[in-house]
Amino acid sequence: MKKTITFTLNGTQIDVTADSHQSLLDLLRVSLRLTGTKEGCGEGECGACTVLVDGLAINACLYPAYEAAGKNVITIEGLTGKNNELSDIQQAFVDSGAIQCGFCTPGMILSAKALLDTHPDPSEEDIREALSGNLCRCTGYVQIIEAVKKAANRSKDKP
Amino acid sequence: MSRYDYYQPESLEEAFRLKKTIPDSVYISGGTELMVRINKKELHPRALISLRSIPDLCGVENGKKIRIGAMTSISDIKKNSLLYEKYPVLFQAAKELGGVQIRNVATIGGNLCNGSPAADLAPPLLALEAKVRLQSDQKSRELPLENFFLGPGETSLSPGEILTDILLEPPEKNTKTIFLKKGRTRMDLAVASVAVLIRTEGDRCLSARVAVGSAAPTPLRLFEVEALLEGATYSRELLTEAQQQASHSVSPITDVRSTADFRCHLVGVLVKRALEKLMDNEIGGGTRT
Repeated sequence: MKKTITFTLNGTQIDVTADSHQSLLDLLRVSLRLTGTKEGCGEGECGACTVLVDGLAINACLYPAYEAAGKNVITIEGLTGKNNELSDIQQAFVDSGAIQCGFCTPGMILSAKALLDTHPDPSEEDIREALSGNLCRCTGYVQIIEAVKKAANRSKDKP
Repeated sequence: MSRYDYYQPESLEEAFRLKKTIPDSVYISGGTELMVRINKKELHPRALISLRSIPDLCGVENGKKIRIGAMTSISDIKKNSLLYEKYPVLFQAAKELGGVQIRNVATIGGNLCNGSPAADLAPPLLALEAKVRLQSDQKSRELPLENFFLGPGETSLSPGEILTDILLEPPEKNTKTIFLKKGRTRMDLAVASVAVLIRTEGDRCLSARVAVGSAAPTPLRLFEVEALLEGATYSRELLTEAQQQASHSVSPITDVRSTADFRCHLVGVLVKRALEKLMDNEIGGGTRT
């Protein structure tokens, strides 16, 4: 069955026709052509498909598209500014060399955003915990954790 | 891709009606297990009936008993200050369940209804002697959680029935609890897990509740270990006896995560370690994030 669902996507309210068996990941990538969100394992282990729903990090591969109705969804495409400038977290990932192949990066960044939005001054343990649902197979965890610390410090320094 | 219809009833009555009228329909709560099974083509439902839009199933209420709505997410359990204060063992287990993304969506009711022997919240809820309320369009019934689990993937739920609430008695005085889990990685399923609750007077154990996960076809109370502890005075010998009894009381399987032999050994070690920590007062919930 098909129906039109309405939700806020990266700050803009949208109406989109979705299939009842579609995952939110499928809706984002196939129907809305937002391919920044990746599919890795498809079973909630790797976190490559992480997006924020009402501020919470979730695995879009396991999230039925219909459940997004009325919610506020943020994908990696929603982090850049008006002129495509990178957000603090994205810039910190670039500056820290926290990216190798880049496949896990959108998920890592959204998990980091979910953490920093609620805990602006996290401990290293908080960061490790927040990223425990995101796998990086290029083994770049040290730099990724550094990047999140850097992003936290930068937003602290801002007036 | 499997094709199925998706319904979002806003009341239990509507959910019961849909379940009755649509053949091969399945209730879905958080879906972190169910969606994986559908994606792997192990299940082919004609329709999913989501329980997420039913307000009665969410939240924690403090009354004569503490009631946890079955659709309360693991993250909300972890964040709930009432639960943290009264049942720190639930907080400890919620903290160990999956990664953040799973905890934000998975629910306490779903964790139990999967009937997995590895369900992280099952051992603490067994140790707390929780009851579950099951409702259908015909009746509502309550049963002790230990009677709810029948086998791997099997529970006492009748067709169409919904687990609506988890009910807990207020904690007794001088009660200490702990949850220990051994997994291969931080977000992995348990190789084995143990929850222990003891009520003490000085160094005497007045009562004990010991429950284990991933160590039998269902999450399990270890009554023999409890009997050994109750009324006994703490000693090294008692802990060794409890360890041996625990190892002998379980019947785990060998799978990708561990062998049956190692699981027996591990359960004994975890029970002993849990008791040691409780004796040394090495408890508490950790930080809530």
